[in-house]
Amino acid sequence: MINRRHFLTTVAVGTASAAALAACGNGSSSSGQTGTAEKPVTINYTWWGNDDRAERTRKAIALFESKNPDIKVNGNFTDFAGYWQKRATEAAGGGLPDVMQWDLSYLRDYGQRNQLLDLSTVKINTEAFEKSLLPSGQIKGKTYGIPTSTNAFAVYYDPAKLASLGIAEPDGSWSYKEFNDFLSQVGSKSNGALYGGTDYTGVWWMFNIWLRQNNIQAFTPEGKLGFSKDDLKKWWNLTASLRGTGAIIPEDRVTQLAPKSPFGSNATATEVTWDNFMAGYLGDSGAKELKLVPVPSDNQDNLGLFLKPSMLMVASAKTKFKDAAARFIDFMVNDPEVGQIFKTSRGVPASKTQRDGTTFDGTDKAVVDYEKSIEKYLKDAPEPPIVGFGTLEASFKRIASDLNYGKLTVDGATDAWFKEAEDLIKQNA
Amino acid sequence: MTQSPTLSRRSTAPAPAQLRRSKRNGADARAGYTFLLPWLLGFIALTVGPMISSLYLSFTNYNLFEPPKWIGLDNYTTLFQDERFLQSVGVTLGYVVFGTPLKLAAALAVAMLLNSKRRGQGFYRSAFYAPSLIGASVSIAIVWKAMFGDSGPVDQGLSFFGINLGGWVGNPAMTMPMFILLTVWQFGAPMVIFLAGLKQIPNELYEAASMDGAGPVRKFFNITWPMLSPVIFFNLLMETIHAFQIFASAYIISNGEGGPAGSTLFYTLYLYLRGFSDFRMGYASAMAWLLVIVVGIITLIFFRTSKSWVHYSGDSR
Repeated sequence: MINRRHFLTTVAVGTASAAALAACGNGSSSSGQTGTAEKPVTINYTWWGNDDRAERTRKAIALFESKNPDIKVNGNFTDFAGYWQKRATEAAGGGLPDVMQWDLSYLRDYGQRNQLLDLSTVKINTEAFEKSLLPSGQIKGKTYGIPTSTNAFAVYYDPAKLASLGIAEPDGSWSYKEFNDFLSQVGSKSNGALYGGTDYTGVWWMFNIWLRQNNIQAFTPEGKLGFSKDDLKKWWNLTASLRGTGAIIPEDRVTQLAPKSPFGSNATATEVTWDNFMAGYLGDSGAKELKLVPVPSDNQDNLGLFLKPSMLMVASAKTKFKDAAARFIDFMVNDPEVGQIFKTSRGVPASKTQRDGTTFDGTDKAVVDYEKSIEKYLKDAPEPPIVGFGTLEASFKRIASDLNYGKLTVDGATDAWFKEAEDLIKQNA
Repeated sequence: MTQSPTLSRRSTAPAPAQLRRSKRNGADARAGYTFLLPWLLGFIALTVGPMISSLYLSFTNYNLFEPPKWIGLDNYTTLFQDERFLQSVGVTLGYVVFGTPLKLAAALAVAMLLNSKRRGQGFYRSAFYAPSLIGASVSIAIVWKAMFGDSGPVDQGLSFFGINLGGWVGNPAMTMPMFILLTVWQFGAPMVIFLAGLKQIPNELYEAASMDGAGPVRKFFNITWPMLSPVIFFNLLMETIHAFQIFASAYIISNGEGGPAGSTLFYTLYLYLRGFSDFRMGYASAMAWLLVIVVGIITLIFFRTSKSWVHYSGDSR
């Protein structure tokens, strides 16, 4: 029963804790910019990824803290999709974490809207980076992100599965027709037990590569679309004859398997995607070995490939600990021991200092070797895509999925995507 | 979101000024408002405030980062040219129209079974009520997804009888039945209310009907239904409003995308995607207000039509 004394105590405790909470709010703003070993400052760091990445990141943080006793790092992570929804609400409330792992797709959304710190104003060593890679973190002369590592597009395959079907391993010099024939061969030889692959025309970045192979820009410097409806129709028609056959896994299977990929679930023989997914695929599929070869191209002199920052490190424009944030970013991108912790799970380290300090063996070596093997085909990394690109990329995937469900024709899908893209570009203009 | 205005109307204290003993009454009022204050502050700060600002935002272009830009009714007019919006309306209406009556029918049927005197009724009541306690949780949505997936128990069970549908989760034609089954399974809350209503019906009515030779069907339509109609009306109203707000299970089962092929793109899910994935908070606010208005209109229609079929005891009709 609630009596008078009881009630008053409750009220008093409640008021006191509210006051204490309010005090916390004030406290953080009055604390200084730098810390000492006795009184370290705490910065917040957030990233996306699975448990494996969390484990590696925790190790890296512990190492950083032991080397920098004046800074404590408070780490936090979620999966990729939820990550951006969280950042959006934090940005709206003015409370982005001090340091964040970032994706190229969202760099403009936050950079151009003054949410990210210009990292050229703080001390981060970028001497060990390829000069061609840094612009991908820059917008209009300001550096918003430092790449941690690079990744490139590739075709994955499982050599053991091909051997059991009696199919020769590809060497990666193939045209789209040859690649399609290869996918069909897997479907027919396995009698439907194994599909050739996922419909690669549903992957935005593969479309982007195809455009580059045809010397077309995806986006103009003014932030408009650089390709026409006909280009997109041609692209989606590339696999028109394959949809509904054993070459391509049916869309309802893909949906069932999500969030695991069909390749990781051993439902397909190949997958066209970023080369740093190696560790994830090995873990998911239990395969002993996976190999990487270049993507198809109808012009073998132009594979359209490029190194993309697989992820960037950014800081919040509102961080109170610029110095601590800069030191943490510098450590994460340059320190050789960090490279040793992550290996290729973030991609191949972008900083030469970190790359040279890391020993790659086994499957990590396969990824590094692949990026070396395509070196002569590489073109400049793309600039940060347009504002709202994350949305466009998602709608590309969704509409291609509708296409595979047979809900849309190629023409209808093209119209639908262009309508959404034009609406979005107008919205953000 | 949309429930709060209805709640507030009901829980506002009656004006105490009309009472006679005004001196005593003043003190009572002060005490009353003092006790009301914590709730009132929360209500104003957490419900009324955000609602007003969302009304304002619905007339703006607001991307969360930059100050909102006033664009008048643009958000509302573009809604009707947005194919995904129209799709989300279709999906949600389908769910409300089929899911709600089925759920209420299940609730009423089970309530009638549980109304008879039998051993262990307490256990059965708890057992049937349990799903609705855990039903809105994340874990149930995950379990549901596994059950209806490829080679899940449902797929295997049906295959045993020679029905090969494959997994329901990836098949656009089967996702809606799956969601309707999920909501029907959670009939516990309306069932309890039906049960309470059934207990209110005087037994003499049934006895008299039996004397006159009425069978169970006749008794149901001539006694149970009219006597229970206020409770049916209440349940219908609450469940309909509730159904419009389906979100968590849809978000989880479709990985937050509304797939496959947009077949689970429920209204609130699309609203959420627009606001927090596409950063179009103004557009999302317009959607929210449109939902409030539509649910309001439907409630009004329910109340208007209720006169012809809801009978309150003491009514002359």
